[in-house]
Amino acid sequence: MKKAVSVMVLVAVAALTIFCFGSVASAGEEIKMVGVITKIDIAGKDAKTATATLKDNKTEQLVVITVEDDLTLDKFKDHRIVEGDEIRCKYEVIDGKNVSKLFRKTAGC
Amino acid sequence: MKMTKAIAAALGLALTATTVLAAGVHPGKESIEKSGYKGPETCEECHPGSAKGFLDTVHWKHASKVTNVEGIDAKVEYGMKNRIYVMCNGNDIVNNLKEIPKSPVTGKSKFSGCNTCHPGNHLSDVGSTGAAAEAAVDCLVCHSTDYDFRQRKPFKNEKGEVVMGQDRSTKAALAIGKPTVKNCMVCHEAAGGGVIVKRGFSFTKDTDAHAAKGMVCVDCHKAKDHKMPTGHDPNNWANDGVFVSCADTSCHGVKPHKDADLNRHCAKIACQTCHIPRTGGAFAKDFTVWEQTPDKFYEPTTLKKEANETTPVYAWYNGTVKNTPHFIGPKGSKKDGKSKITPFKIFQGKAYYNKQTGELLSMDFAQPMSDGDTRAGVLSAAKTLGLKNPEKIAKEAVPGWQTIYFGSNHLVTKTKALYCANCHAPNGVLNFKDLGYSDKEIVKLTSPELFMEKLAQKQKEEW
Repeated sequence: MKKAVSVMVLVAVAALTIFCFGSVASAGEEIKMVGVITKIDIAGKDAKTATATLKDNKTEQLVVITVEDDLTLDKFKDHRIVEGDEIRCKYEVIDGKNVSKLFRKTAGC
Repeated sequence: MKMTKAIAAALGLALTATTVLAAGVHPGKESIEKSGYKGPETCEECHPGSAKGFLDTVHWKHASKVTNVEGIDAKVEYGMKNRIYVMCNGNDIVNNLKEIPKSPVTGKSKFSGCNTCHPGNHLSDVGSTGAAAEAAVDCLVCHSTDYDFRQRKPFKNEKGEVVMGQDRSTKAALAIGKPTVKNCMVCHEAAGGGVIVKRGFSFTKDTDAHAAKGMVCVDCHKAKDHKMPTGHDPNNWANDGVFVSCADTSCHGVKPHKDADLNRHCAKIACQTCHIPRTGGAFAKDFTVWEQTPDKFYEPTTLKKEANETTPVYAWYNGTVKNTPHFIGPKGSKKDGKSKITPFKIFQGKAYYNKQTGELLSMDFAQPMSDGDTRAGVLSAAKTLGLKNPEKIAKEAVPGWQTIYFGSNHLVTKTKALYCANCHAPNGVLNFKDLGYSDKEIVKLTSPELFMEKLAQKQKEEW
């Protein structure tokens, strides 16, 4: 009886976990976050892709975002966006990468 | 013989200059490489008088005399230097760039101010004049495509003065030319408290027909002597005395369509009405309640949407502006013979009003940014502006709303422009009743009778 209850509890926990975090991992779905840049990796002036590591304001987890749009890459290259900036970001999980769909500084004048 | 040599030399120079310009390369590269970049004095070698001239523009003064807005002094210059309205609620005077009080939570401070975008070094600030101001102009922030923005940060010098840094490297100077979209957007995209907040547009090939054609901002806002043509936005008062219009002969002219019926619309309908059917950006802000951000500083509560995510409102506009403590927007009517139906981005902001006079009060952001105390911000601004009894004013200040009609002049589309049935239908985008049409006129204006035969023929031709 105890074993059966344990199994049921395990199944329930597993189901709850999938329910809670399933959306984070699912491909094709747009995920929104606000976080501070802790690191930018970009390979020179001609780079067509870069990664930025954001510390999620809500979860405090580090999320690595792949940036491919020219506008944001240009802001990395001329340092309009730098480490320490707070970013409003939307991304999709594509082939295991968190690909940015929107990457903007929250600050303005 | 001498004459022949002179002509040959002149032709040679002209050819060299033409070749350099045609290749998109700014002349003078060798000179800059040899002597390095020394600020405006380097630019002045080929553009004498430019720095002094620039000091007399809105980009430097953040103000100008304003002739189309009611209730203001025609002899005084107005602009972000001194205006009080609810998109910003501060201005260059009360929100002069400074180090804000330390956060009581983190003990950290930061620099903040409305004039962070001013193209000087802050020691020579908004509206300054003289040799020091001329030498302080940051030519490269607008003209270089290789500017290092790590250099353009505020810092305190040895005297404790707040200075705005500049990139004056030879590398940046070697990448000069006509301002690109990026150069303009460095400041203009983040105005009002963040990207796509104030104006509500982005200028990319996906969002604007002009950008899709490879045009840049200064193709329409074509400056002469740094005086920048603008439109007639009811909330953008300062101007250099030159204006841009879609109907300029060098652009679309007064008969821009092949179809005479569409051209007839141009007499009463602004181009933007059909060709800018969407808007975006902030639609409401509350300066009386600031939200704590993750860095433990505070920002005014702001509601916003992306570009093309909100719909404009339409009103008759004759180029003059109603200006009261609770409303800034277009004046005009169906009957005045000058007005056109024009789209606007609506924005509403909550801020403090003077209990005694009913006037909108300004706010110094330093204190509220540090600890959220908005009345302390009102007190500081009242003191800076020399108002009598500032403590009483701040204590008794009454929260209230102001509605602002912003011009909606970007996000231009050809393919998604409004067509006949978008307006001429019972559920059309134009509220003909509010626009002053009679019931009889509305019945006619909302009937397919207006376009049935013509569109049926067109449909037949297309299919």
